[in-house]
Amino acid sequence: MKINFLLNKKPVTIDVDPMKRLLDVLREDFQLLGTKESCGEGECGACTVLLDGKPVTSCLVNVIQAEGKEVLTSEGIAEEPLGKLLIDCFDETNAVQCGFCFPGFLVSSYYYLISNGELNLEKIKKALSGNICRCTGYQKIFESVLLACERK
Amino acid sequence: MDFFKPANLEELLLKMQESSENRYLLAGGTDINVQIKNGLIKNAEVIYINHLAALNGIKETETEISIGATTTYFDILHSNLIKKHLPYFQASLDFFASPILQTSATIGGNIANGSPTADVMPLLLVLDADLKLISKSNSRKIPVSDFYFGYKKHVMKPEEIIFKIVIRKNAEEGYQHFYEKVGARKTLTIAKVALAGLKKEKSGKIKEIKLAVGSLNEFARRLPKIEAYLLGKTVTEIDYNKIDELLNLEITPITDLRSDKEYRYHVCANLIRTFLNQ
Ligand SMILES: Cc1cc2nc3c(=O)[nH]c(=O)nc-3n(C[C@H](O)[C@H](O)[C@H](O)COP(=O)(O)OP(=O)(O)OC[C@H]3O[C@@H](n4cnc5c(N)ncnc54)[C@H](O)[C@@H]3O)c2cc1C
Ligand code: FES
Ligand code: FES
Repeated sequence: MKINFLLNKKPVTIDVDPMKRLLDVLREDFQLLGTKESCGEGECGACTVLLDGKPVTSCLVNVIQAEGKEVLTSEGIAEEPLGKLLIDCFDETNAVQCGFCFPGFLVSSYYYLISNGELNLEKIKKALSGNICRCTGYQKIFESVLLACERK
Repeated sequence: MDFFKPANLEELLLKMQESSENRYLLAGGTDINVQIKNGLIKNAEVIYINHLAALNGIKETETEISIGATTTYFDILHSNLIKKHLPYFQASLDFFASPILQTSATIGGNIANGSPTADVMPLLLVLDADLKLISKSNSRKIPVSDFYFGYKKHVMKPEEIIFKIVIRKNAEEGYQHFYEKVGARKTLTIAKVALAGLKKEKSGKIKEIKLAVGSLNEFARRLPKIEAYLLGKTVTEIDYNKIDELLNLEITPITDLRSDKEYRYHVCANLIRTFLNQ
């Protein structure tokens, strides 16, 4: 089935099984390897992308759900001014350890900045509560997002 | 997997008329994609419904709020209409799954999937909500309490779908309310025990009481024996031994990977106590 959507602001069309996971389409059909798979069941957030501006777990989204919509991945966010700011803040705070969870945290943090952006630790914790860091670097991750909220 | 994307509601309902042994509707996909991954759904026929405008959105009439089946928890949590009329319902759903799942998970999928842990069920039960089911030839409204009859078993006919959920605007007005979902952590937790409650008192006596539990039976249900016992009593007249006894008749908790049955029973008894003393 032919499916059209906007991928990191560019219109794309692919001929694909409509049930294929958006995660696999991004990684296999578009070589966008920032989006990671860890649990594959919605529990960890490593696969988070923005679908029409809202964060979703792309391991539980079928590509048909993206039809006619806009998909923004960690690669696309890295090109945005607020994305760049977040990456700098994560870098400065040394919040990235093995890095596997980072693209997912970047997407959820970016969504927090654009949808709320309040300098509020509790709200940040909640906004990031669907993302898991196996290296358990939460404290520094929260500090990075607080720093980005201050600077934006 | 066989895939079909209906152009509109008509086409969906027509397709549902065809007999099928192994058919699933794809709404948000947060349940069925996990089931596909774990091999529980194989070679199925999948019908996509998330794009159908007729199934989506929150609307009001003079007396009711209706929530279309494919409305997501994100939309419910952000709806001003729900905030205005059903603030208890809205606030209680805040810890549903996680923020990145609330954007996909739909209320219709939550109910249809039929897990006894579905967060929304105890709430809909105390709010005396109705479900509107439709098929090509028929449309019917049933109380949400009539929907399940066993573990993951419901009364929908093969050709029927959940169209919308209907809640009276004044369903929670003037009530003291309670909702507690007990799990291992705050977000991303499947409830071990959930209790929803609404009560009204007059001159110190319980005038109206509604209690519903999730995760403690094959499906979420009200606690009619305890409700009947409590009616007309003042807080000091309540005999908690009696409630514990009745609770034993109303719930059939199980031991599973999340918790054991004794724990579930005691937590539920404590939640009821907390609500009655609040
Ligand atoms: C990590 C994780 C955490 C979760 N946490 C929670 C939680 O905290 N609380 C909770 O209650 N649930 C939770 N869930 C379960 C799930 O997210 C919900 O049940 C969700 O609401 C399902 O909706 P959906 O649109 O994604 O369903 P889908 O997966 O699209 O569909 C589920 C089922 O419903 C049927 N269906 C869908 N729409 C209709 C309709 N209109 N009419 C008839 N049948 C229909 C489908 O045929 C399918 O069998 C969690 C799931 C995951 C993966
Ligand atoms: S890989 Fe999608 S949530 Fe874990
Ligand atoms: S940095 Fe390793 S999982 Fe988060």
